[in-house]
Amino acid sequence: MLFLKSMPVIASPTHYIFQIVRAGITFLACTQVEMPPLMGIEFLCRVADILSDYLGELNEDLIKDNFVIVYELLDEMIDNGFPLTTEPNILREMIAPPNIVSKMLSVVTGNSSNVSDILPGATASCVPWRPTDVKYANNEVYVDLVEEMDAIINRDGVLVKCEIYGEVQVNCLLSGLPDLTLSFANPSILHDVRFHPCVRFRPWESHQILSFVPPDGQFKLMSYRVKKLKSTPIYVKPQLTSDAGTCRISVMVGIRNDPGKTIDSIILQFQLPPCILSADLTSNHGTVNVLSNKICTWSIGRIPKDKAPSLSGTMVLETGLETLRVFPTFQVEFRIMGVALSGLQIDKLDLQNVPNRLYKGFRAVTRAGEYEVRS
Amino acid sequence: MAPPAQAHRSPSPSQPSGKGEVSDLKSQLRQLAGSRAPGIDDSKRELFKKVISYMTIGIDVSAVFGEMVMCSATSDIVLKKMCYLYVGNYAKVNPDLALLTINFLQRDCKDEDPMIRGLALRSLCSLRVANLVEYLVGPLGLGLKDNNSYVRTVAVIGVLKLYHISAPTCIDADFPPTLKHLMLNDPDPQVVANCLSALQEIWSLEASTSEEASREREALISKPVIYYLLNRIKEFSEWAQCLVLELVAKYVPLDSNEIFDIMNLLEDRLQHANGAVVLSTIKVFLHLTLSMTDVHQQVYERIKAPLLTLVSSGSPEQSYAVLSHLHILVMRAPFIFASDYKHFYCQYNEPSYVKKLKLEMLTAVANESNTYEIVTELCEYAANVDIPIARESIRAVGKIALQQYDVNAIVDRLLQFLEMEKDYVTAEALVLVKDLLRKYPQWSHDCIAVVGSISSQNVQEPKAKAALIWMLGEYSQDMQDAPYILESLTENWEEEPSAEVRLHLLTAVMKCFFKRPPETQKVLGAALAAGLADFHQDVHDRALFYYRLLQYNVSVAERVVNPPKQAVSVFADTQSSEIKDRIFDEFNSLSVVYQKPSYMFTDKDYRGPFEFSDELGNLSIAAESADNVVPAQGVEANDKDLLLSTSEKEEIRGATFNVSGYSAPLYDSSAASVQSELAIISSTSAGSAPSSSLAIDDLLGLGLSAAPAPEPASVPPSLKLNSKAILDPGTFQQKWRQLPISLSQEFSLSPEGVAALTTPQALLWHMQGHSIHCIASGGHSPNFKFFFFAQKAEESSNFLVECIINTSSAKAQVKIKADDQSTSQAFSDVFQSALSKFSV
Repeated sequence: MLFLKSMPVIASPTHYIFQIVRAGITFLACTQVEMPPLMGIEFLCRVADILSDYLGELNEDLIKDNFVIVYELLDEMIDNGFPLTTEPNILREMIAPPNIVSKMLSVVTGNSSNVSDILPGATASCVPWRPTDVKYANNEVYVDLVEEMDAIINRDGVLVKCEIYGEVQVNCLLSGLPDLTLSFANPSILHDVRFHPCVRFRPWESHQILSFVPPDGQFKLMSYRVKKLKSTPIYVKPQLTSDAGTCRISVMVGIRNDPGKTIDSIILQFQLPPCILSADLTSNHGTVNVLSNKICTWSIGRIPKDKAPSLSGTMVLETGLETLRVFPTFQVEFRIMGVALSGLQIDKLDLQNVPNRLYKGFRAVTRAGEYEVRS
Repeated sequence: MAPPAQAHRSPSPSQPSGKGEVSDLKSQLRQLAGSRAPGIDDSKRELFKKVISYMTIGIDVSAVFGEMVMCSATSDIVLKKMCYLYVGNYAKVNPDLALLTINFLQRDCKDEDPMIRGLALRSLCSLRVANLVEYLVGPLGLGLKDNNSYVRTVAVIGVLKLYHISAPTCIDADFPPTLKHLMLNDPDPQVVANCLSALQEIWSLEASTSEEASREREALISKPVIYYLLNRIKEFSEWAQCLVLELVAKYVPLDSNEIFDIMNLLEDRLQHANGAVVLSTIKVFLHLTLSMTDVHQQVYERIKAPLLTLVSSGSPEQSYAVLSHLHILVMRAPFIFASDYKHFYCQYNEPSYVKKLKLEMLTAVANESNTYEIVTELCEYAANVDIPIARESIRAVGKIALQQYDVNAIVDRLLQFLEMEKDYVTAEALVLVKDLLRKYPQWSHDCIAVVGSISSQNVQEPKAKAALIWMLGEYSQDMQDAPYILESLTENWEEEPSAEVRLHLLTAVMKCFFKRPPETQKVLGAALAAGLADFHQDVHDRALFYYRLLQYNVSVAERVVNPPKQAVSVFADTQSSEIKDRIFDEFNSLSVVYQKPSYMFTDKDYRGPFEFSDELGNLSIAAESADNVVPAQGVEANDKDLLLSTSEKEEIRGATFNVSGYSAPLYDSSAASVQSELAIISSTSAGSAPSSSLAIDDLLGLGLSAAPAPEPASVPPSLKLNSKAILDPGTFQQKWRQLPISLSQEFSLSPEGVAALTTPQALLWHMQGHSIHCIASGGHSPNFKFFFFAQKAEESSNFLVECIINTSSAKAQVKIKADDQSTSQAFSDVFQSALSKFSV
């Protein structure tokens, strides 16, 4: 049953149901015919994204309070089983989000309709992702490199796999119809890329330049993968020795390659094997928590300058068991602000069709994704 | 947008029945209906919200229908939307009330605001009340010509809705040609996409009855339409792109230039942010290049990176769907993914279904260069907390060992598992060591040393226990205490719950006896006695068999039990390659996620557009009930080909498959061979089919004499038919179109035959016995329709038969087409005599 519950596609005798779960809410779609599964799943994801965009976040109460908007949105997003408009900008022009501003407006003006009177112009325009008439007092554009490092370090301490999945996120607050060009200093390190539909394909193919007319507001311009990284910023060295029914554990954490910026929010998490009856764990830095379901969390935060954080303790094995045969896997979390560990660098961002006064901002952050150390 | 289905069930006790509230609402709405006071819309809106929220939680508020309609005279668009929603939900169950709404909806369809026009039209079409269709045609016609694209998109889908309510009305109003015109000329891409979606559905459903519709449906995948759509592909929304790409995947280009043009045009779609678009593009690429082996391989290389990115980027749900597709590709061409094996390493907190797929892929991609690392990785999983995955990974190690030439290191690893003191690890490892020994007997020495040290008390799982006992028997000469272990196992015969283990124990004791007679004799006696007293039939029989064998001749017994064994070179695969190929054909569909072809899980009525053919589409294919057994499955397996749209295409497909070196259409022949196996049963002589079936009937005690044929087959037909005839449905369809009818006759059926024909399957079996094979069948009593084929024994000359049987009049109308016209009369006689023998 548990297995079925977590399957994204489940079967019934006559209908096939796609489900995704977001914030405790299950989104269902059903089909009687063969169809591309990703079309169903992607669409459901889109519905969830747009709802959370409209309602600020997702939860049961919010959906109940705003069911009229939910109905209206679904009405425009799908008709007779075929997805229609899922572009947030266009939907926003058809159905106003229930934000505080529009509530204020409705009180002041007495016009309480949350549907605009005119049809969105963008449906007919050649850049469907951008509303036609955008105006900002201050023109700003922010480009963020957000990277996640996935790594596996095996029992012998060897880095088996290390990869970066990254996204270029842009927050674009520009008037009119701007045309942007973004280039990287070292595009050759990118192994594979995926683009927002606004990116023109030819300039990328010939010169690895991203040329695009951006949507308004926050969006994901591109995602990429960088393969085969050689090192990780921190090391985690677990040691487990067991003998005569007890097991001694010691875990050391430290900086391996200084990325030049502070590494913070370091957290280690691991599940104690079921054969362990009790555990007594202490650390010389940070806090250790063992939950009743045997999940153990060691929050380190930042690594202090003067000492290497370490966790140690003893664990009692099940009676009759001499040595430990099943070993925990340590999942590591960390965050480094200001660095893209893949080494990807933005060269420059050029803008056309924009007013003179303009602010450009660049940021980078790297987090641990699926970063695991086996013992 | 479907309001909850439970809207009409009686409210559960825990819910407020809502009766009081509803009548309250009713009077309030009535008060507001006539009022024109300022701010009235706000109070209406609050009330409407209440009504809709009641409706959403399942309270029946249909009682306020009239009041809602009265209140709908408003210019407020939100009110209108809520009203439309309400009306759409209740119109179907209250057709009379729905009539009330027609007026205001029709008026709204002429509103000056295009949004209102569109919404009204959508609601009008969503009423789904059959007797109101006459009111739909007018507004729909106007909507299709509207100058606003929003209204046109709604109208196009409206036409499809109309078709589903009342197909004749839709066709009579000439809507499909209008849609076609719009599709090819409208400036708005969404209108074009909706037209395409609607036309696919309408023409596919119409194709079963109308020649023209099937031609039109085929025209959708003709070069001009495909090129027109491809050239506009970047204008389409992502969903419409998926639709177009699905269509392109069905298009068969004329030459390789065309293929390369299409692929160049679509290459950037591989970098689209939407995974559905990427996957559809991949499908197009794969299908286009099937016939070009080297390019096909390049395509794999090209799509590898996008697929791997998709896996690592999306939500778990997306990842899994993509991973399933990656899985099928890896299984087809493991060598291409061999260098990417690290992508298939399992992460600790991945769900087990993902890990399972990954383990299978790891197993598949293992080759000389990466085996060491993969096995090292797999061994780490064996110590995993997740026990099923630990088991799977040990099995994976074993599979790799069985497919590799150099198993040195792997054997050591497996033996380490045996020493791990985890019962499930030991169990899995034992089974593997057994398989390994069957393939590599040379390793017996190392393995036996370790296996011998395992205490049989620690092994509880039947499979593992059986494996251990097998090894004890097979290698008893090398294992010091084999006879004594077997002895203690035999002593506990009564406590052993698994028959499989007891069977193995019997055999092992026998083997041991021939190798070390003095030590084993006592055990053998005990084992045979216990076996003879066993309640399990198989165990009992085997014990008896051994006993008599020993009685008869001991040296013969030794030759039977302990023959020199040849090492097993290849173990049978679990999933047949036909199934895999078929799933590959259905790339980018649910079948890939389920790992079974769609005919195994979808309802026949819902095979989706393009799956129905004009002549055979409306027939259910062969048999479908539980008793349909083998031949029906054979035909089932084929029915996708059967239902492919153009015969030319089928021909090209077939050819391309052969060239490509991928054995895709194998299932055709296998299906046929399944059929033929059955045919052999009844007509081994393959001479005169009727007489052989006679013999069978006699054998089974089916008194043939009780069924005197109206036209007795006294004259033995001279025609010999091939009992192993093979004809794939595509070819059948093509031939059926090409050949003229050479004979059209009416036979009468015997009363016994009529009585026997309760389901189509009954006749299929019967005709198969006469070397006449069924390719499709359908219908219910009293009308049945069958398509049969037969082949001449000595040459591949085909006969095709359409047979319509009406059981109430006991008549069969038969149309015969033949490659060789001259023999069709002879065949007709055979057919008739076969038919006349049909009885219970």
